[in-house]
Amino acid sequence: MRAVLRALPALFRLALAEMFQYRGEMVLWAVWGVVYPSVAMAMWGVAVKGSPGGEAIGGYTPGDFAAYFWLTMVVGHATTAWDIHEMSWLIRSGRMSARLLRPLLPIWHSVADNLAYKILTLTILVPLWLLVIVVAQPSFQTGRFELLVGIPVLVLAAVLHYLWGYNLALLAFWFTRMDAIGQFWFGAGLFLGGRLAPLTIMPEPVQRIASALPFKWVIWFPAEALAGWLKPGAVYSGMVNQLIWIVLGLVVFHVMWRLSIRRYSAVGA
Amino acid sequence: MTKENTVLHHLKLLWLFLRISVQNDAAYRVDFLANVFVTLAHFGAELVGLWTIFSNTRSLGGWNAMEVLALLGVFRAMSGIIGLFISPNMRLIMEEIREGTLDFAILKPINTQFFTSFRRIVVWRLADVVLGGVFITVACTQLSAAVSAAQLILFLVMLVAGVVIIYAFWLVLATCAFWFTRINNIEMVFWNVFEAGRYPVDIYRPVIQRVLTYLIPLAFITTYPAATLVGKIEPGNVAVALAAATGALVLASAFWKYGLRSYSGASA
Repeated sequence: MRAVLRALPALFRLALAEMFQYRGEMVLWAVWGVVYPSVAMAMWGVAVKGSPGGEAIGGYTPGDFAAYFWLTMVVGHATTAWDIHEMSWLIRSGRMSARLLRPLLPIWHSVADNLAYKILTLTILVPLWLLVIVVAQPSFQTGRFELLVGIPVLVLAAVLHYLWGYNLALLAFWFTRMDAIGQFWFGAGLFLGGRLAPLTIMPEPVQRIASALPFKWVIWFPAEALAGWLKPGAVYSGMVNQLIWIVLGLVVFHVMWRLSIRRYSAVGA
Repeated sequence: MTKENTVLHHLKLLWLFLRISVQNDAAYRVDFLANVFVTLAHFGAELVGLWTIFSNTRSLGGWNAMEVLALLGVFRAMSGIIGLFISPNMRLIMEEIREGTLDFAILKPINTQFFTSFRRIVVWRLADVVLGGVFITVACTQLSAAVSAAQLILFLVMLVAGVVIIYAFWLVLATCAFWFTRINNIEMVFWNVFEAGRYPVDIYRPVIQRVLTYLIPLAFITTYPAATLVGKIEPGNVAVALAAATGALVLASAFWKYGLRSYSGASA
């Protein structure tokens, strides 16, 4: 662990320099995170007008929808993880070999990349986020408690999403084409994570599937918690759920990682 | 009139491109099946999305569930057509400009624009077109007002106009690669913005509607054709679409020719 702590700042600086080189690409990735929630925001805002009563859907007024989807932008950014799309490239291009030679688990290298991306893109995202607030006029009920507890909730969500994304990405050691798995990951975020709609207004069966999977604790829960719509008890039990999924993810990671490198040495020879 | 300029000759070439593409893809049959499977999953996801929306509301900016289903069908079919030949060919053009290998395409004894626009056909993308067609058909049978033959013909005309406009749009993007060599990410931007076309443009604010109509011509590609089918189109917009399609094609082709002249090749 000491070695990791010593290496991380260096890796982080390296990642920052690398990212800066690809700033154009990064901006594009980051902007998607603003476009999608904005479309959902506009759509649900209009849907409210067509609903019976025309005031709210499932308790969400247009202002609430704006707040929810604005928060999914922020939460989505904080929890971004793209290893599923990158891992097979790392393996095929041989970069994985170089990373495996370092006296540090390659996941730390990817974590440094991930953090560098998240921090660097904030420079473009923060102005965009503020612009969306001005235009969409969301109604937040965020108090001091939510701001205080929101940070650990966000961190847990980011760790949880990253870990499971990395676990799935490790499948690239077995399959050369990860597109289908990547699509599944992406779709799960939309439907089961709550990017398309707050989970409580999703159809019953979808809600049930979502409860059995980690995605709702990544987007939906942090967004609802930060908006100030959850009671303290619900926030704490949500954090417990996040922790459970993280512990499970760590166990799976340890097993998968061993199997993966065994597999890799067989192929790379 | 030389042989190279007849319509028949070009159709034969198209058929040849298709055959070569099928032969290439036949080597990756598992991939083909996997892709079709993913497409099916996409359509399932679209239906869940539609279900979610219309279990909570009756209309989306004046469009009811079946009308939005027709729009989704158009959206999916269009993304299928873009993936079928537009984006793969344009990607190839941008790649070859960057690497300087476009020379080989230019040297072929046929029209360069025709050749570079159609040489690669991604056959499995037809699955999107077919399934989109299924959505459209189902929506049509469930609409409250029957769709007349005239409406259907007008719909097909609007679809063609939409394809022409999106082709022209992509050709302009690809042509930009003559000056800005590293713009392959533009494709990702496109697909992101294209997402906004899955709902009628009526749901957006007027400013954004105008952007999505004239700057990024999404309205012409998805909303207008679907609106024609369900009887929501303003007659004026049909004329605008046809004029836009013609103008876009002419301008994009001219821009392409202009760009081609500034291409210096690999050895330069």
